[in-house]
Amino acid sequence: MIAANLTLLFVFLAVMLLGAPIAIALGLAGFAAIAVGLDAAALQFFAGVTFSSITKYPLIAIPLFVLTGMIFERSGVAAGLIAFAQSIVGPRRGGLAIVAILVCLIMGGMSGSGPADAAAVATSLIPSMKRAGYPPAFSASVIAAGASAAILIPPSLALIIYSVIVPGIDLRALFAAGIAPGLLLGFALITPAWLISRKHGFGVDEGDVRPPFWQSFRRAIPGLMAPVIILGGLRSGLFTPTEAASAAAAYGVFVGVFVYRTMGLREIYRSLSDAAEISAVVMFIVGLAGVFAWAGTTLGAFDQAAQAILDFTREPMVVLLMMMAILLVAGMLLDGVSVFMITLPLLFPLAVALNWNLTWFGILMAINVAIGTFTPPMAVNLMVTAKIGNIPLESTFSWVLWFVFSAVLILLLLIFFPEIALWLPRALGYVV
Amino acid sequence: MSQISASDTKAAVHDPHDGDRLLTVERVLAAAAMGAICLISFGNVVVRYTTNFSFAFTEEYSVFLLLLMTLVGGSAAFATHAHIRIGILADNSHRFASVFTLLAALATLLVLGLLVYYGARLTWDQYRFDELSAGLGNPTWIYTIWMPVLTLLMIARVLRRLRQDLKAP
Repeated sequence: MIAANLTLLFVFLAVMLLGAPIAIALGLAGFAAIAVGLDAAALQFFAGVTFSSITKYPLIAIPLFVLTGMIFERSGVAAGLIAFAQSIVGPRRGGLAIVAILVCLIMGGMSGSGPADAAAVATSLIPSMKRAGYPPAFSASVIAAGASAAILIPPSLALIIYSVIVPGIDLRALFAAGIAPGLLLGFALITPAWLISRKHGFGVDEGDVRPPFWQSFRRAIPGLMAPVIILGGLRSGLFTPTEAASAAAAYGVFVGVFVYRTMGLREIYRSLSDAAEISAVVMFIVGLAGVFAWAGTTLGAFDQAAQAILDFTREPMVVLLMMMAILLVAGMLLDGVSVFMITLPLLFPLAVALNWNLTWFGILMAINVAIGTFTPPMAVNLMVTAKIGNIPLESTFSWVLWFVFSAVLILLLLIFFPEIALWLPRALGYVV
Repeated sequence: MSQISASDTKAAVHDPHDGDRLLTVERVLAAAAMGAICLISFGNVVVRYTTNFSFAFTEEYSVFLLLLMTLVGGSAAFATHAHIRIGILADNSHRFASVFTLLAALATLLVLGLLVYYGARLTWDQYRFDELSAGLGNPTWIYTIWMPVLTLLMIARVLRRLRQDLKAP
């Protein structure tokens, strides 16, 4: 069995480091481990496991939310939100940096994918921030950090995956539990953004053009309504999560076609096809990660690894720190969905053994991954924003570390005060 | 630094291979599956609230469309290098870049080949034993067969991409 477990781990690492798609590394590792540890007869389940991992009804929410985010980004909703945030914050030192983070938070409430939000916000804001006197390296850092909150703010693709893998978890409770930590993370990022801007005088050239409040508010209403529809629909019991996703997508099309009148058939088709391709990449990982999880579970690899850790120490804080380290590194390398798919089979038994609240644990995982997405040197979000800002990745490091520090403080708060996450789902009457 | 993420929409949208006919077919199919999923899901909500009538039986078609979308969309993603990968080693391997490319492609072809082989066997078994789906009582092989068939399409994609990658450094 040891040989099979090692096969699972090393084949996965080797194939991944070769630069093959993560999904391929997962599938091959699972297959090789079964071939080593069990008989050939077990191998025939390879295709069946992949098939059934993809064809799960709750997963339909994933493409629907990806589509919603895409439609909202393209229909001009993002631009409306930026103008509205600007009219609230006003031209001041650090003003645009604060606007960037606020917009990232709202966008996170639509698309559920950090790098996509980072790309959308960076494209529209980095040039105007540059004109106002912000160095692009700083702007790229702010936006990368702000967009990381998307994994916490519903709808979050990673949290959907969590609810599918972990038994007995209510996705609505999980969504509700992510809101307060997500907003808290946003405000924790605004603080260094504002302080640094003041110290260096970024944004002195923001000028004194302030979009009129009511006019920009009216234009932003369709965007601001999206989170209300999703969360309100879930809370009132009107929608299941999948239905909420489909309603949000339909609402997005309605806004794009009839309210903003920015979308025609051509844009709708492009959104459908791009959203399909992005979701397909995620679902391909989900399918072959199913093989990986099936192999690891059948061989007992995850249970044994979890047991080995518990034999080493049962001190919750030490176990937690080890998990944090794993998740942070994984979050630096991979997107949230992949991290959840790969690490959950190992981390979930540990959380159960230590009697942790599983809703809280899901949020804790998410915030860890969030921090990883903008922690140098490999940060996914930072790569996106640095590319759009046309600057070398290294130039952001001295700025972004302040944001990492600030976000880690929120992580610590959440560890010591689980109620930060849990009060809202409790108040809404969900079982957590 | 090309791996970034599938969610980096820019990478998926503005691709130099847009003129590729086959890719266009894959994109149209994926978009059609996506659109159908939307219509069915939203239609379900509307019908349920207006008529008390639920067509929950459509679940079976929805998850099948999800599978179709995953396979054709995944195939397009092989053509555009949109699959999520860790390129930190492979992309900085300079002299050995083509070795990495070749080995990664071999691993990919192996996994896809296994999916075709075992997928075909699974389909054949379901056909032989007249297996019926739990929801609608349709023969299950009419769904399953698309997995090996469309995975073959992916293999063609990977091979073509490999040829291009090895030619142009």
